[in-house]
Amino acid sequence: MSDSAPQMDFFGVPVELRHVEKELTRQILSLRTDDTGPLQKVRMSNLVVYTTSMETARKIAEQAPLVEAAHPARVILLIGDRQAKGDKILAAACARSHPLGRTQQAFWEQVTLYAPGALIERLPFAVRSLIIGDLPINLLWETPTPPPLAGPLLAELSENAQQIIYDSLDWPDPVRGVAATGSWLEQTERTEAGQWRVASDLNWRRLKFWRRLTSQALEPLGETAGQLINEVIVEHGPAAVVQAWLLAAWIARRLGWRPLGGSIQQGVEMAWRCATGKNEATLRVRRLAEGPPEVRVVNLTHHLDGQENWLNLFIESEQRLAIELGSGGFEPRTLTLPALSAAEVVSRQLSDREHDPVFRESMTLAQSLARMVLR
Amino acid sequence: MPLDPAQTSGLKALLPQPCVLVIFGGDGDLSWRKLLPAVYNLNMDGALPSHFAVVCFGIASTEEGRNAADPDEYLRSRARDGIQKFSRQTLVENHWADFSRSLFYVPGSFNDAAAYQKLKSKLAAVDAQFGIPGSRVYYLAVPPQLVDMCVARLRDAHMVSDPAEQNAFTRVIVEKPIGRDLETAREIIHSVDQAFAESQTYRIDHYLGKETVQNLMVLRFANSIFEPLWNQKYIDHVQITVAEEEGVTQYDHKSGEPIASRVGYYEGAGSLRDMVQNHILQVLCTVAMEPPYSLDADVVRDAKVNVLHCLRPMTPDDVRKNVVRGQYIEGDEFGERVPGYRHEVRDFFRRASKPVPPESVNSTTESYVAIRLFVDNWRWSGVPFYIRTGKRMPKRCSEVAIQFREVPQVLFNYQPDVPLEPCVLTIKVQPEEGLSMRIASKLPGPKVRIYPVKMEFNYAAGFGMTSPEAYERLILDVMAGDATLFMRRDAVETAWQWVMPILETWSRERVLNLPEYQCGTWGPVEADRLIHQDGRTWRTL
Repeated sequence: MSDSAPQMDFFGVPVELRHVEKELTRQILSLRTDDTGPLQKVRMSNLVVYTTSMETARKIAEQAPLVEAAHPARVILLIGDRQAKGDKILAAACARSHPLGRTQQAFWEQVTLYAPGALIERLPFAVRSLIIGDLPINLLWETPTPPPLAGPLLAELSENAQQIIYDSLDWPDPVRGVAATGSWLEQTERTEAGQWRVASDLNWRRLKFWRRLTSQALEPLGETAGQLINEVIVEHGPAAVVQAWLLAAWIARRLGWRPLGGSIQQGVEMAWRCATGKNEATLRVRRLAEGPPEVRVVNLTHHLDGQENWLNLFIESEQRLAIELGSGGFEPRTLTLPALSAAEVVSRQLSDREHDPVFRESMTLAQSLARMVLR
Repeated sequence: MPLDPAQTSGLKALLPQPCVLVIFGGDGDLSWRKLLPAVYNLNMDGALPSHFAVVCFGIASTEEGRNAADPDEYLRSRARDGIQKFSRQTLVENHWADFSRSLFYVPGSFNDAAAYQKLKSKLAAVDAQFGIPGSRVYYLAVPPQLVDMCVARLRDAHMVSDPAEQNAFTRVIVEKPIGRDLETAREIIHSVDQAFAESQTYRIDHYLGKETVQNLMVLRFANSIFEPLWNQKYIDHVQITVAEEEGVTQYDHKSGEPIASRVGYYEGAGSLRDMVQNHILQVLCTVAMEPPYSLDADVVRDAKVNVLHCLRPMTPDDVRKNVVRGQYIEGDEFGERVPGYRHEVRDFFRRASKPVPPESVNSTTESYVAIRLFVDNWRWSGVPFYIRTGKRMPKRCSEVAIQFREVPQVLFNYQPDVPLEPCVLTIKVQPEEGLSMRIASKLPGPKVRIYPVKMEFNYAAGFGMTSPEAYERLILDVMAGDATLFMRRDAVETAWQWVMPILETWSRERVLNLPEYQCGTWGPVEADRLIHQDGRTWRTL
């Protein structure tokens, strides 16, 4: 980032770390328009966000009110700046007020901490003092480093977290990231008796409607879909390789395919041979030269009644997913793709704390696929 | 005794009676930070009788005090400073002007008989000036080793009235620590006994004066929903935590230089003596006691001491299984590096230009202790109480958490996607006073998803005012002659009796190094193991 100390006043009132709680209380009292009723702080959880980019931090700070509107939380935004020099952690406190009905107000709190250089290692200590007890703790890992490669910082920041949320969308080395994530998930979710933790990938959440429509598309093929389909191609815009990969792994798992070997053409395509039971099939993840960072097309080729046919799932318009059948045998089916902002994706994930065995299994398969192309 | 006619709730409310509050060690740290600000707040709230004054006694703790031409003025300026820094209410000039006129200072050594004569004369003059009938509350804000001397001198100077005397009463407040083990506790109790009757003695534990600790009784016995659930049938376990962010040395945040140290007191004492034997066991008694049949001081205190009698005694083997002690090492406090306990101890002696005592060279005084204990009676059979206290924890936080049993594993608890988090009732003692209840609730939406929600009651927000400091309530109680919130001698002795096997086992073990924890963390990993082996976990505070 920069050599000079950041402008913390963008994030709230700059304050000494030890005086954060006092400052929040002061702000809340000054925001209060009616001091006759009880003071209502609205909070369902603690949301600890870690980022290494000031630009991302600013975006998060701007989105925080939207996240809070859907899932009220105390937001603790951490900015770790490895390259910067400095001898102290900077803090800013910000309380927000929102009307609740006609007369009441609800108050939300955000604390931002900036740690330069080696002081990053001290952030977990600072977080411990800011957590609100008895409320779930969510860690949002907003860096391009995949969690398994993040080192002890992530482990310490998540020591009491019930949910670790990450986003695999922008991983710079997707193969290595995916290869490490399956085992990391297993380790992360293994906790002491009486404790519990889940890890969630926002990229997986974005695939929800793709998965739903793919399931609907496979329905007519019944139990034998895995035998009938001989090729799956997932096409994606640049920077969405992990998203495409996750979807490909999920489809392969859904079809009961077992990967046998893989190959990679850097920046173009990854392909795997898979055992389908009696035959072999191919799974491809193909990068489009341009387009938004998301899955664009899923193509399934299959044999039915001795004839080869295909099935295309594609983004028909900005908010619509569609299925097109090669034989033209039935009317194209479509599904509305709700436009979710980044804040909405995060806020929905905060409330969604269930273990997702399908995600786990898909990630395990994705990990096997990754190891094959790493060899 | 006179009852407050303003009280209509039916609760006993005794009126504070005219008296002189005599603070021994009156310009010392406790007086400066707590006692004088507490008296000022009582004055601001109009809670003090109109016939009232404060006389501080002792050798001044500062050079300025020792050389002061006008001792009363010196004390007033010291009190003003303390009030400005530590009082919950800001200093209001016209109130201060009125209040300060009732502050006096008698310099003198606690061991000097002549000084007591001077004190006696001053008290007589103050009586005359303020129309006080000769009643005294002696507050012994002095180290425990001086208690014996102070009470003996008071007795010899004929400054203690007959216990039956109602008009010109004499009462004494004894500060903790009351001894450093059972034997020394008995010695202190015995020395006070030589001058004061038990009915005149008020052994203070300021935790018991906190609103929420008092509210524990109200919560349990004035609400019909809790008491039926307050037993082993519905409660899984209880956690009591007293966490302090401060260590034994405080530093100036700008220069990093030490500004105050409690090493002199704490080294060799440790958290078991400093916190568990008194504060935590007293709070535990309030949580676990049977309903007293009246609010009479001795009836309530009987109920509390019965809990202490029910504490399962520990054998040396039990101590090893149920007690974990630890010591902080270098770590972080609010983003700043702070040294470990041993470093602070050595630094304390170096700065005082004193040799480090051999036992303190590599000190094994515990700054953290966690205990699993059981109250062996019908109500609490099989319910573990987990207590923990430590210094240099991530935040200052004291609370009692009652965790209820899980619901049966049917319906929402039958192989849930997310484990149901049990209901927890939390009584917060500090820094904010209040209580909260965590319950499971359905998240809005078409799918049944269960999420823990926290219902909170905060004293300041709920009642729109700051709670009085514990010392305010307790000083007022002594002036009113209400001993309910003070420790009776049998309670002190019984608490020590329970603690002694732990101290003796530690003393025999002579370990060279204690389990360590970094400053800014929640204690040693051994403490986590202590609770994890029961399938439970320490609460995140």
